[in-house]
Amino acid sequence: MSALHMIGTAHAGNLKLDVDLSIEPGETVALLGPNGAGKTSLLRIFTGLLPLTGGRLDLSNCAVDVPRAGVFVEPHRRPIGWVPQDRLLFPHLTVRQNVGFSPRTTRKHVDQLLEVLGIGDLADKKPDVCSGGQAQRVALARAVAANPDVLLLDEPSAALDIDSRHLIGQLLEDRGDRATLLVTHDPVEAATTADRIIVLESGHVTHSGSPVDVRTRPRTRYAASLAGLNTIAAVADNATATTSDGALVVLGEPATGPVHLVVPPVAIALHRTVPDGSPRNVWEATVAELQPAFGRVRVVLDGPLPIVAEVTPAAAEVLGLVPGARVWAAVKATEITVHPA
Amino acid sequence: MQPPRPILAVAAVATLFISLPVIGLLQRTPWSSLDELLSSESVIRPLLLSLLVSVIAALVVIVLGTPLAWTLARVDMPGRRVIRALVLLPMVLPPVVGGTALLFALGRRGLIGQWLDRWFGLTLPFTTLGAIVAAVFVALPFYVITVEGTLESGSDELEQMASTLGAKPTGVLRRITLPRLLPAVGAGTALAWARALGEFGATITFAGNLPGRTQTLPLATFLALESDTEEALALSLVMLAVSLAVLVPMRSRWLPGRRTEQ
Repeated sequence: MSALHMIGTAHAGNLKLDVDLSIEPGETVALLGPNGAGKTSLLRIFTGLLPLTGGRLDLSNCAVDVPRAGVFVEPHRRPIGWVPQDRLLFPHLTVRQNVGFSPRTTRKHVDQLLEVLGIGDLADKKPDVCSGGQAQRVALARAVAANPDVLLLDEPSAALDIDSRHLIGQLLEDRGDRATLLVTHDPVEAATTADRIIVLESGHVTHSGSPVDVRTRPRTRYAASLAGLNTIAAVADNATATTSDGALVVLGEPATGPVHLVVPPVAIALHRTVPDGSPRNVWEATVAELQPAFGRVRVVLDGPLPIVAEVTPAAAEVLGLVPGARVWAAVKATEITVHPA
Repeated sequence: MQPPRPILAVAAVATLFISLPVIGLLQRTPWSSLDELLSSESVIRPLLLSLLVSVIAALVVIVLGTPLAWTLARVDMPGRRVIRALVLLPMVLPPVVGGTALLFALGRRGLIGQWLDRWFGLTLPFTTLGAIVAAVFVALPFYVITVEGTLESGSDELEQMASTLGAKPTGVLRRITLPRLLPAVGAGTALAWARALGEFGATITFAGNLPGRTQTLPLATFLALESDTEEALALSLVMLAVSLAVLVPMRSRWLPGRRTEQ
């Protein structure tokens, strides 16, 4: 039983997509990839706006696109909800008419969504008066109102205000059996909102795994540089934050409440003895695992703060890094970026 | 910003150029005998006929022109440029030539006309129907070019969005395409109607000049000018009033130009 399963090929301009992926009901998957990797084209395949050239696509275990068998289900018959990057609100309809556009929705559901997303005040206005965040909420409400089995979100939180981010996050939490595919090129968003990350590069899936798996075992240079960032959930109290494992981290910028701390692996310095100098965050850790990664070595550390560091092979040699070795790790407070959760 | 003086000066000259003939017309209008003139049969008949012909022509233009504009804008087919040029031809063709062409195509001995006559007993020349056909012929391109422009500038992304929400193709047409097209349909209709109302050359060539049947306001005005100047002035005034009465309210809603303050 899967909400979406595709093993097939398609052409989008000069790009050839050759993809094998599936999403389970209730699962939230982040599709992460650089510009031009084919992320948006993949969504167009799922909606039926871009036909496959080979292979097959199943939605909720029904074949919807099997070119060899002559099977093609039109977009309006697919159980898909699509929130495109440029939102595409209907300019001649009011916000309420936009949200209630789908023949598959009910008035009650529309009213409820307008309220939950805080756009009830705008219900009788045209979309041109909406701010970016409000327009995004209207587009999301419109897609969710159609009761899709699979919800596709294309860069949903690009340039969103905190309020909109929060409200949209809440709506996505309450999903039941609905599967969500979230296209993003923001690794922090991918790591913090998704159960699983699928990395798409040049039309191919190069990695599919949990955020921890993609972070600790990136399979490509792109994944290592972007998805390989350490993302740590914590609760901030002004200049410090406490992680879910109980470690205290000194921050470079004051913050309060639930946050995600983002630490690039290259920002973590490793030492054989206690380092002196300015770093505010220094702790002793055990090397759990070493992975060669594109001319570098990724060092997975156990300890009060499970984290991945990245060093040169020469440094790994000098430090005598082997699984089980004890090292001192240090990171400057200014290297830690704080994102509101 | 201070508007440049030379531009203002030229704009003033242009405005004067357009309004002078209107002023001239008003100045010569026989206001004292106007009541009598306007209620005379020789003014009422062409007025009613003109309204009938131009309104029916405008409706026919909408019915024929909308699918044509949609096809030209959205369907990728061979020879599209040739078809577009052909459709726009009546805009540049002298109306008298258009009327002549209609005569040889739809006249009693024309290419199609002879069959219309033989099979259906339908004769177009010298009938009100013929006047309508002539008006449609000259007015259609104005409508098509307006509507096609809007269809081309808006891509079909909104239609695609609507289809992913579960709207069937007919529903997409009814709820997205047509409502979005409405302003252009309004503007195109206004232009086409105005062109049909003023039509002279093709009508007189193809449909003739029969009072009560094909003698529309422009034809009556031209004829009256040779016999009865006062009647010609009264007829002109009627055309001016009808045109203003329809175009002024339309302008703020549909015609391109500055929107009214919201």
